[in-house]
Amino acid sequence: MSFSVLVCDDSNLARKQVLRSLPESLSADAKIATNGVEALKILRGQSIDVLFLDLTMPEIDGLGVLQGIQKLGLSPKIFVISADIQPEMQNKVLELGAKAFIRKPVKAEVLNQHLQEHGLI
Amino acid sequence: MTHFNLNEDQQDCLQELINVAMGQASDQLARYLDTFVYLKVPSIEQVSSSQISDTLKVEESAAAVVSQGFFGYEGIRGEALLVYQPKDSDRLADLLGYEPDELSVEEQIIDLSSILTTTFLNVFASQIDNQMSYSAPRFLSSAASNFSDHIEQHTFNWDLALKVKITYQVTDYSFNCDMILLIPESAIVNITQVIDRILEEF
Amino acid sequence: MKDSTFCHTIAERINTGVLVLDIEYNIVEFNRFMQVHAHKKQEDVVGKSVFEVFPELPRRWFERKLASVIQLNSPSFCSWEQRHHLFELPHTRPITTDSKYMAQNCTFMPIVGEQGISHVCILIEDATDVAHYQGKLNHVLDELARANRIDGLTQVFNRKHWEECLDKEFSRARRYGHNVALIMFDLDHFKKLNDTYGHQGGDKVLVDTAARIKSLLRLCDQFGRYGGEEFAIILPETDLNGALDVAERIRSSIASTVINFQGSAIKVSTSVGVSVIDSSHQRYEDLISSADYALYQAKKLGRNRVANSHDFATDAALC
Repeated sequence: MSFSVLVCDDSNLARKQVLRSLPESLSADAKIATNGVEALKILRGQSIDVLFLDLTMPEIDGLGVLQGIQKLGLSPKIFVISADIQPEMQNKVLELGAKAFIRKPVKAEVLNQHLQEHGLI
Repeated sequence: MTHFNLNEDQQDCLQELINVAMGQASDQLARYLDTFVYLKVPSIEQVSSSQISDTLKVEESAAAVVSQGFFGYEGIRGEALLVYQPKDSDRLADLLGYEPDELSVEEQIIDLSSILTTTFLNVFASQIDNQMSYSAPRFLSSAASNFSDHIEQHTFNWDLALKVKITYQVTDYSFNCDMILLIPESAIVNITQVIDRILEEF
Repeated sequence: MKDSTFCHTIAERINTGVLVLDIEYNIVEFNRFMQVHAHKKQEDVVGKSVFEVFPELPRRWFERKLASVIQLNSPSFCSWEQRHHLFELPHTRPITTDSKYMAQNCTFMPIVGEQGISHVCILIEDATDVAHYQGKLNHVLDELARANRIDGLTQVFNRKHWEECLDKEFSRARRYGHNVALIMFDLDHFKKLNDTYGHQGGDKVLVDTAARIKSLLRLCDQFGRYGGEEFAIILPETDLNGALDVAERIRSSIASTVINFQGSAIKVSTSVGVSVIDSSHQRYEDLISSADYALYQAKKLGRNRVANSHDFATDAALC
């Protein structure tokens, strides 16, 4: 079974870090968004199964995307990957429907453990 | 005059390093101050020494500006300016966990400045396998003496600098502070080398 | 091993206090500088709480300071500029400076052991000299700033500073819709007085008059010498009636006072012009013009009297 994947981060480096950490099956056809506005546009236009989402971004930030997804009634599996590791922020994103909070800089083994937990690999 | 224009990848990489440092520093701050710190995307730009007073003129209404020097291995060094707006200094003692009569407002501002600068730069340095030392923070100005006057009276011994501006917003206290890092070009050359090393890994 | 003895020797001889505490605030290291200045022996303090050895320390503040160093793994600083000293240590210039204790710059540094931060090192630098000279410098700067504002003869504001005050007061009044009144007065026939008694006599009149009028004013009123024998007063939050009242007191006080100069009794009078901010005043200079115009009218009507610009509004418009 294959999943459609979206990686949303304003940093090219951070996106590469995520893509490099993903197994080939997920990274091969992954789509990319460089801010919250782009991400919501893609999410509205096509079905996305897995979203890797940064929080601190220009335009609409990660929290805004999470709220947008709730409003649209979509249910992709969301993994927040952020440097903003304050406990209050971690709780907030989990409340807004994220499956997990992963701290930056992302480590492949941590990411894969979360993917396994949610049956994506 | 040499130019150190960072290319897009270098700028992106620096931005991400700063993001991560900012995130971890905010986490430490939030734990220490027992509050939540709201993070915005930091801005990075190149400024010339002749532009610096103009760039910083925006901060003219500032109640206080504190400067703290930092220096690490590989010639990485610079000056951090912490810019406070007048209304923000009221509840600092509360935020820092002191009784208001235990210390003056000036001391509170110095204390917080040092915390903001060192937590951020410690994490930033550790990401690039470096270690920072700091000079004691000092007041550049208060409401009494104008900050841009101070800058204008200065003759700079550098031509270009990298200006990184980070805004800290502490929601529980409606407190704002801008941290402006000015890194002289000689130090930028060294940072660029470190960035290139990181980029090579990708 | 050789290395650590080397460092130890330096720490002992250095002209900076080195005080190392464990995270329970107990003293672990206490170098020679500290032993000498605190007049305490190493063996008497090591192992004891720093609060016991230095009871003058502000305990709550000190604990919070150390907490930030330990929790954030960051250095922290304490400058004499914000806190003159932490430790009550005598200093080496008790005769030539006026401070009782050594002014200090303190640095708090975390020391990381195998299991995280195990100690905090406090460096104590003597800043007495710097503090002393900075104090002197500040005093001179204050004096300079004062000299820049004050008229040397009459000790009221000089014209430049007085106009700056008016500029500020005027903008504030316009912005918030407050009242502000202006009084300008000029000693009558001053030139004749100078001719009769000489310039020293004239100066005596100016000095005495300024001192007398100053005593009639509120703290918030701003009194300046506008030029020669002309003075000006800014009265914040004052309406026309209030200002006329003050003006009349100034006139009568001057008219009823006799000034003694080298055995002669000098009598002077003054003409006073009053104006209150109104919508026709776009800039503070307009308010000066109004008060000055009223002063001119007071002179024209025979001197030793008060006139206000609002009585001559139409005349003024015609001028």
